[in-house]
Amino acid sequence: MTETPHVNVNPDAQAAQTGPDTFVAPGPARDEVVAAEEAAPQASIAEAGNPVALADHLAVEGGEVERGQPGRRLTLGFDRFSGLYVWAALILLFAIWIPHTFLTTNNFQITAGNQAITAMLALGLIIPLSAGVFDLSFAGMAGVSVCITAWVQTHGQSPLVAALAAIAAGAVVGAVNGFIVVALRVNSFIATLGMSSLLLAVAYWITNGQQITSGFNQSFLNFGTSTFLGLAYPFYVMLGLAIIIYIVIEYLPVGRYLYAVGGNAQAARLAGVRVNRIVFGSLFTSAVVAGLTGVVLCAELGVASSDTGPSYLLPAFSAVFLGSTMIRPGRVNVIGTLIAIYLLATGIDGLQLAGAPVYVTDLFNGGALIIAVALAARSHRRT
Amino acid sequence: MVPSPVLQVQGLSKTFPGQRALIDVDMDLQPGEIRALVGQNGSGKSTLIKILAGYHDPDPGGQVHVAGQPLALGAAAAGEHAGLRFVHQDLGLVPTLDARDNLAMGHGYERNRAGLISWGREHRLARQALKDLGYDIDVRQPVSHLAASERTAVALARALSPRRADPRVLVLDEPTASLPVAEVHRLFDVVRTVRSQGVAVLFVSHHLDEVFALCESVTVLRDGRHVATRPVAGLDEDGLIALMVGRAVEQGQAQAASAAGHEAALRVRGLTTNVLSSIDLDVGAGEIVGVAGITGSGREQVALALFGGIARSGSVTVGGHDVEPQRPDKAVEAGLALVPAERHANAAFLEFNLRENVSISNPGDFVRRGLLSRRSEVSDVSLWLRKLNVQPPRPDRILNTLSGGNQQKVMLARWLRRKPAVLVLDEPTQGVDVGAKADIHALIDEAAAAGAAVLVISTDHNELTRLAERVVVLRRGQIADRMHQPNIDPDSITAATLGTDTGAVA
Repeated sequence: MTETPHVNVNPDAQAAQTGPDTFVAPGPARDEVVAAEEAAPQASIAEAGNPVALADHLAVEGGEVERGQPGRRLTLGFDRFSGLYVWAALILLFAIWIPHTFLTTNNFQITAGNQAITAMLALGLIIPLSAGVFDLSFAGMAGVSVCITAWVQTHGQSPLVAALAAIAAGAVVGAVNGFIVVALRVNSFIATLGMSSLLLAVAYWITNGQQITSGFNQSFLNFGTSTFLGLAYPFYVMLGLAIIIYIVIEYLPVGRYLYAVGGNAQAARLAGVRVNRIVFGSLFTSAVVAGLTGVVLCAELGVASSDTGPSYLLPAFSAVFLGSTMIRPGRVNVIGTLIAIYLLATGIDGLQLAGAPVYVTDLFNGGALIIAVALAARSHRRT
Repeated sequence: MVPSPVLQVQGLSKTFPGQRALIDVDMDLQPGEIRALVGQNGSGKSTLIKILAGYHDPDPGGQVHVAGQPLALGAAAAGEHAGLRFVHQDLGLVPTLDARDNLAMGHGYERNRAGLISWGREHRLARQALKDLGYDIDVRQPVSHLAASERTAVALARALSPRRADPRVLVLDEPTASLPVAEVHRLFDVVRTVRSQGVAVLFVSHHLDEVFALCESVTVLRDGRHVATRPVAGLDEDGLIALMVGRAVEQGQAQAASAAGHEAALRVRGLTTNVLSSIDLDVGAGEIVGVAGITGSGREQVALALFGGIARSGSVTVGGHDVEPQRPDKAVEAGLALVPAERHANAAFLEFNLRENVSISNPGDFVRRGLLSRRSEVSDVSLWLRKLNVQPPRPDRILNTLSGGNQQKVMLARWLRRKPAVLVLDEPTQGVDVGAKADIHALIDEAAAAGAAVLVISTDHNELTRLAERVVVLRRGQIADRMHQPNIDPDSITAATLGTDTGAVA
């Protein structure tokens, strides 16, 4: 299997920006609303606070409110397994529409393998997002990692040394991100946005603006393109990473701490959670995962250029946000993210096979991001 | 001849579900008068002010006249147009904006002929408005860079701005709560300047010494009713306190502070924050100690300072081990547990289920063979939810689908499960219904009986009387009084929190 032209989405910061606000910001807590109203008594009552949030909280204060049951019937479509329904529907649609090209083993294998890189990055991104911390630099980090992996090999080192160097670079970048956010108290969105630009410069500097196309170790390239049981090796790397992150998040105390910090950082701190350490660790982890992903991506592409990374930013964010509307609605989670990845990939793949123009990829990813965040905001209000 | 009152309140009542907050209150204010409005927590002061501000709709039948004209109640802009102005305790300024912008809020900016903001005129107007109050401030500084009294001046200048209608009545709601003593006197001078321009001032304060220093007359509310309006001359502090609590009360007598028979599980020495200064406190194992104090006395900082939620100096030891400042995790390790005030902001994970809310303080307890065991977590949390009579006792319920009382019990379960050596509760029954309140009190007793040292910080003086063997009373950041059973009752606690300072009592 060879690489297909990979998704070329511009790092659209603005689109990403619509995500965070709606997704993370909860309605003002009741106390804040009251305080705000007291602060501005001259304002009319309707203006004084967010009426929805206020009504919401008042309803809760009023006593035992049965919500889940009646709400669930109305929002069946957005329930825990909605993503699976949509995915099945997409497969069915293309199976009927373009059976000869879509319904081939080859097509499924390629789709599964192609998405390994986006999926690995999205899995890394889950960690900071679950703690309410943004990492916009992971795609840039993956790009730098690709360049380091190639550059070190062209200088006569073994692929193992190259991979370790790239992963170590991830650790350094993650530690710097963590330091900026925790010690310098810079908002994570800003800090990692800045870092993503720095990393783009670093990638250019390493490659000198040229593509690195030769000097790779052959077994390294084989790793990127060989298949096992019909699926590319990178797919299995992604699967292993998914299992590890799933266990960390669902079955280790640190997973609870991540969600707690994302849910209410002040409450987490007063419950004895070391919030700073969690924030630092989450940024560190996502950068290390990005470093690892870059190594795999380099092997898959067999070429390194400075602009490889940024195109993965938007698809990964889309997948994590879309994933947060399913399995555990309102929370970013591993299974939901994987379903989202393959749901998006199936849609794009099917449309392209059906003859849609190449820009359908950008269209689909952007639309999915907005819809995902709107759904996330909806489920946030619901719970 | 008696001049006609500028503010006339007649037969004002306000009923909230299950509570009559204000009952048939009358009050007149003359132009140029400085009137104090006093009363305990829950006496109806805030309700009265919020009705005047148009924030609450009163019950039908009440009337308010400003300068003889009836005021449309329940409409915010009406009071503004009639000349009612308010400065609230938190001032309502936008800290990142400068004085000019803050003054323009609510009034709009001066425009030039092209429709653009005329900054020159804005600048002059802002400087002049502040100069009239005796302040020379750089109006281009963000107000967060100004001193506390300067911020108060900006808020006052905004309230007194004549751009919409001349101010007639100025309501100051706890304006001194965040001011150092020297600045309080400066504020008084400003208030007197305002008064001399014929504006009536309604001054709401818990600090009775300020009432005596500034005001000519005082209106006392108690349990929603108007109790008395009197000239300040001829009243003394005990007399005023008696009016507020409804009977004569002796201010609590200082007693030697020793927890005889208790080994101090919590030992606090020289606890100091930006409000608290040098607090010493011991709580013995099995003992329940209360902390009382009005807002601004430092009461609201005690729990967070002990637990590491805010910066502090001084030493806190639990069972002989020092607790590092600003490290809640170390405090938990040392055996401290905190159920903080303002549950939604400080303790609750509203969108998480009860299981996660309870186990978050120590999920490590449920690790079996290296992984979190949901089964052991569910069974332990269920046990505690039943023990605390949480309704419904289902670990998979989302927290914000429970009533306030049940939410608070979940917060308690989080800590009682850990069997802490020291349990600190800040306003443990805030926003909790009567039944749950009794349950929570019983749980606190039980925790103490099981050997925990318990510190209960509360503005509910009945609660302190019910629970505490000793009560420590804070005033202006210091311990002003220590009371012991059987000499503790709600009224004497109230009196002690309101008393004037005659120096901290050791």
